[in-house]
Amino acid sequence: MHNVKRTRQSPEALAETKLREKSKIDEYLTLTDDVLSRKKPDWSKDAFQLTQSLLQINPEFYTVWNYRRNILLNGIFPQSTPEEINNLLSNELSMTTAALKAHPKVYWIWNHRSWCLENVPDGPERNGTPSIEWRQANWDKELFVVERMLDADARNFHAWNYRRYVLANMPTRRNETSELTYTSRKIGANFSNFSAWHQRSKSLVVLWESGQLDPVQSKDEEFELVSNALYTDPDDQSAWIYHRWLIGSGENKEQLEREIQVITELLQEQPDSKWSMESLVHYKRLLLQHHSPDSKALKRECVELLSRLMDLDPIRYFRYRDLTRDLDY
Amino acid sequence: MTTSLLVPLHVAYIRALGNSQDELSYHLSAHLRMNAVYWGLTALCIMDHKDALDRDEMVDFVMSCWDEEAGAFGAHTDHDAHLLSTLSAIQILLMQDALDRVDVDRVVKFILSLQQPSGIFAGDAFGETDTRFLYCAVSALSLLGRLHELDVEKIVAYIRHCRNFDGGFGAIAGAESHAAQVFVCVAALAILDRLEEIDQPTLCWWLSERQLPNGGLNGRPEKLEDVCYSFWVLSALSILGKLTWIDASKLEAFILSAQETESGGIADRPGDVPDVFHTLFGIAGLSLLGYPGLMDLDPVYCMPASIVENVGLRKGWKALQRRTS
Repeated sequence: MHNVKRTRQSPEALAETKLREKSKIDEYLTLTDDVLSRKKPDWSKDAFQLTQSLLQINPEFYTVWNYRRNILLNGIFPQSTPEEINNLLSNELSMTTAALKAHPKVYWIWNHRSWCLENVPDGPERNGTPSIEWRQANWDKELFVVERMLDADARNFHAWNYRRYVLANMPTRRNETSELTYTSRKIGANFSNFSAWHQRSKSLVVLWESGQLDPVQSKDEEFELVSNALYTDPDDQSAWIYHRWLIGSGENKEQLEREIQVITELLQEQPDSKWSMESLVHYKRLLLQHHSPDSKALKRECVELLSRLMDLDPIRYFRYRDLTRDLDY
Repeated sequence: MTTSLLVPLHVAYIRALGNSQDELSYHLSAHLRMNAVYWGLTALCIMDHKDALDRDEMVDFVMSCWDEEAGAFGAHTDHDAHLLSTLSAIQILLMQDALDRVDVDRVVKFILSLQQPSGIFAGDAFGETDTRFLYCAVSALSLLGRLHELDVEKIVAYIRHCRNFDGGFGAIAGAESHAAQVFVCVAALAILDRLEEIDQPTLCWWLSERQLPNGGLNGRPEKLEDVCYSFWVLSALSILGKLTWIDASKLEAFILSAQETESGGIADRPGDVPDVFHTLFGIAGLSLLGYPGLMDLDPVYCMPASIVENVGLRKGWKALQRRTS
């Protein structure tokens, strides 16, 4: 159970709750017994309806989702036209949209939706030629649904994973640039949304590798975006972690030195900024590793920063101590 | 503020869970029953009260969940087989020395049938994939002594594909790093003796940054603390030998503060309703932190270390030294 506050009930109130629950329990167990006893081999529409009643009470009942899909596959689809199958699956998607709003983190609901999408027939014939109208319409709608889910909770990892699944599998793939735009919007709404920064990193790699964006120019724009975030809230991890991704292994010396300068200035403005110090240590160590292996000055600067971090952030004292030892100063 | 682990209360809490048929939530969570029995039994073992639940009754329950058609275990009698409940069933039977009741060949066949061409595992025949299921498969096959039947390279390739720039792992390739998925990937690699696949300095940095000023751990950047991450984060750190990179005493105080002090159990955070899931993962975290009086927990299999040692599967993890008081 997550995020359910404890409440104190008197013994009388508790007894009353239990009494009220008793009829609900009886009803639920009767329905469960009915559904589970029909499971094999009742593929009737009655049984289909019963699974719906049960899943509305308990969307976590994975066995009943399985049963529902088996009824569709073995009982209903074989007697249906493609158009009817499309309607049935569209209904399934609508039903689970409602369920998702109430239970946005139930794996089984998301899973049922992807099964439905994968089973939507292509589309009707138009003037003797096949179309993908139904498939197209359902997948397009899915992207809309998942965006609403991310509007409600911008960190819901189920929704982000599902979004990536939809984007990768829709019949007409969207241009990756539109996904980059989407992450700009999410990050703009909240710099602290690491899920969106993560998605952005994936999107950019696709755009760089496919030649749709010039990596050098695009990286500079990213540094500007992320610097804004760092200056807005230097205590927020999200942008710092993204910044570290942009620097990568630090092979670009000029870039590394420029960013060290930017962070040094931030640290002057915010002398207790833990993340500025932590990042400076990391980037100076990259300089040592790749560009100036013998610089005593860099080592000394790292040791000094680490010593301040030990005081400022004592819960990670031993990490800073281990890093200090590694420097062998 | 509670400053010690209320062992007798938690034992009573776990015992009482089996007798709460008059609560609707008991019935609504039947799909988790097999996992719940595993969580409860493991917590009892770590508190050295294994006998608080009746062994024969438990083994009978597990066997009643056998899905003859699929050849594996469901979460409850008459529920469908799934990898999540199958791993829990195997763990319970191993802890209760009753693995001889299982048709191992059929279970192995079920598990192997769920590996996808990409290397990841589906949870059941309907095909949802997740690195959690990959871990279930690896752990279960290892506990059954049948790891050699697995296509290890394919699995490792998939895990590598899930690795993010922050060193962590997500539920599927492309997904954001999440501490629970880090546990499943790191523990699977530990079982497969392939820890070199991990960018250890980066991952251990990311894991150490899960600790918040209040001592609790979160599962992703800028999220709230939750007791269950005490296990997901600590297990990975202990497998990678970096448990000292978080503040043990602050985390310990946070876990203890999430105890329910009247009827027992541990919640996700102080003041919330306890459940057996958080009770186990809180106690598991305390065990790894060297809390006095607890039994050692194996962070790779999330089972009592003595059981894992008996079957010769202990890997090179390191917990903090057990304190005497």
